[in-house]
Amino acid sequence: MGANVSSPDQKFPVTDIHSRKPWAPRFEPEISPYKVNSPFVVEIKNKNQWKSRLDALKDTNKLLVIEFTAKWCGPCKSLEPKLDELAAKYTDVEFVKVDVDVLMSVWMEYKLHTLPGIVFMKRGQEIDRVVGVKFDELERKLHRYTQSFY
Amino acid sequence: MAVSGFEGFEKRLELRFFDDTQITNNNPMGLRLIDFESLDQVLNQVQCTVVSAVANRSFDAYVLSESSLFVYPTKIIIKTCGTTQLLKSIRPLIHLARNLNLTLRACRYSRGSFIFPNSQPFPYTSFKDEVVVVEDSLPKSLRYRKASVITPSSSSSRDWHVFTASVDVESDEPVVVVEVCMTELDRVNARSFFRRKGDDKNSDSAGKEMTRLSGIDMINANAFICDFAFDPCGYSMNGVDGERYSTIHVTPEDGFSYASFECGLSLYDDGHLDVSEVLSRAIDVFRPGSVSIATTYGGEDYNHEVSKRVERVLAKKLGLKCRSRLMDEFPGSGTVVYQSFTPRRK
Repeated sequence: MGANVSSPDQKFPVTDIHSRKPWAPRFEPEISPYKVNSPFVVEIKNKNQWKSRLDALKDTNKLLVIEFTAKWCGPCKSLEPKLDELAAKYTDVEFVKVDVDVLMSVWMEYKLHTLPGIVFMKRGQEIDRVVGVKFDELERKLHRYTQSFY
Repeated sequence: MAVSGFEGFEKRLELRFFDDTQITNNNPMGLRLIDFESLDQVLNQVQCTVVSAVANRSFDAYVLSESSLFVYPTKIIIKTCGTTQLLKSIRPLIHLARNLNLTLRACRYSRGSFIFPNSQPFPYTSFKDEVVVVEDSLPKSLRYRKASVITPSSSSSRDWHVFTASVDVESDEPVVVVEVCMTELDRVNARSFFRRKGDDKNSDSAGKEMTRLSGIDMINANAFICDFAFDPCGYSMNGVDGERYSTIHVTPEDGFSYASFECGLSLYDDGHLDVSEVLSRAIDVFRPGSVSIATTYGGEDYNHEVSKRVERVLAKKLGLKCRSRLMDEFPGSGTVVYQSFTPRRK
């Protein structure tokens, strides 16, 4: 699964006087060798699948994370490995992926004009979203919403 | 003026490829199909990296450690500051495009005048050397070439450098690009772009706060803003509004403070965005001591009235007097109008 990304020390350091720290994507999958290799982020291919997923979770306290992506979205591809990593780490969270061209009506429902869009849902309600590739914010919110008092 | 510091003035590279309808029918995504790893590798050579990104149906927008990258189906725009090696991206990008059966149509390289010219690596120490490097990297099919340094007679104004190369002699791109460079930023306004000590925010939310506090979110309320705050200071954002892009980069440190605002507009806009209004709001965020505006009219429709209107609005709303307005024409790449402003009574 490892992402095809050069390690941080291969990147040239940003050369400037005030040492602005370069942000390097942190792709470090930590999958236990004893876990079964199941797909952590499930792609929803049709409306029925979508509906049944939502219904199944509506009465539970489980966090649902929806990734809206598209084939025409270059930035989405930089997010995929990070999401795979997070999905492997947060096993109590359900991660699904929606291609906006495949499920256009669902995309319209969420009013996302820019991608990638990550929507956090609990009990059938949207509680937050992150639009754009923002690793820190994504991880921070994931951590926050998996707390039991949410 | 500091002896040396971070260079805010950007180098800008734009590559346009043929929009062969045969090709784009099979491949409407064009350059957007270049995979992220390949783009990342090109940026590595330039010595910058992606810090945030967003996309819509029209284009992909990346915020970089040293400015921005925009990928449209047949056009790439990279703008980098500091001491980056922007011209090293030309050959790899042409190569990546060729793999997608896209042929280079035109190239434009432009920049203002560096605050710390001696801190730049070769070939950026002299525009002549930069032009040699660009020319070497381009295929011979781009026959119509021109290099120009626009030099205002006003002593307080900086030069603007442009090199263009094109397959065609006519330019038909219905796009207007406006590049605003601001120096001597108002110190109080610049404070918004410093990270507050002890804030437990990450760069993404600190960026959002800067966008709000500074009023950048009001420049174009329609645009989605992808922002980023650097540590200990500095700010970048890309704005996405349909097909239109905009981008702002701020170096707030006193002594070499700098902010840039750039946007691309279609000439066939429905007009809900008055360019003068947008520019006035953008410049008002920074209240700079010196402003230059380089406007590139891609098509044949250069209109004096737009430039004059910008001058009127900036004079009336911000007390900025236009000290110089110069124009130059580039075969296959349109007309550039370069205006310099300083506050009245300076």
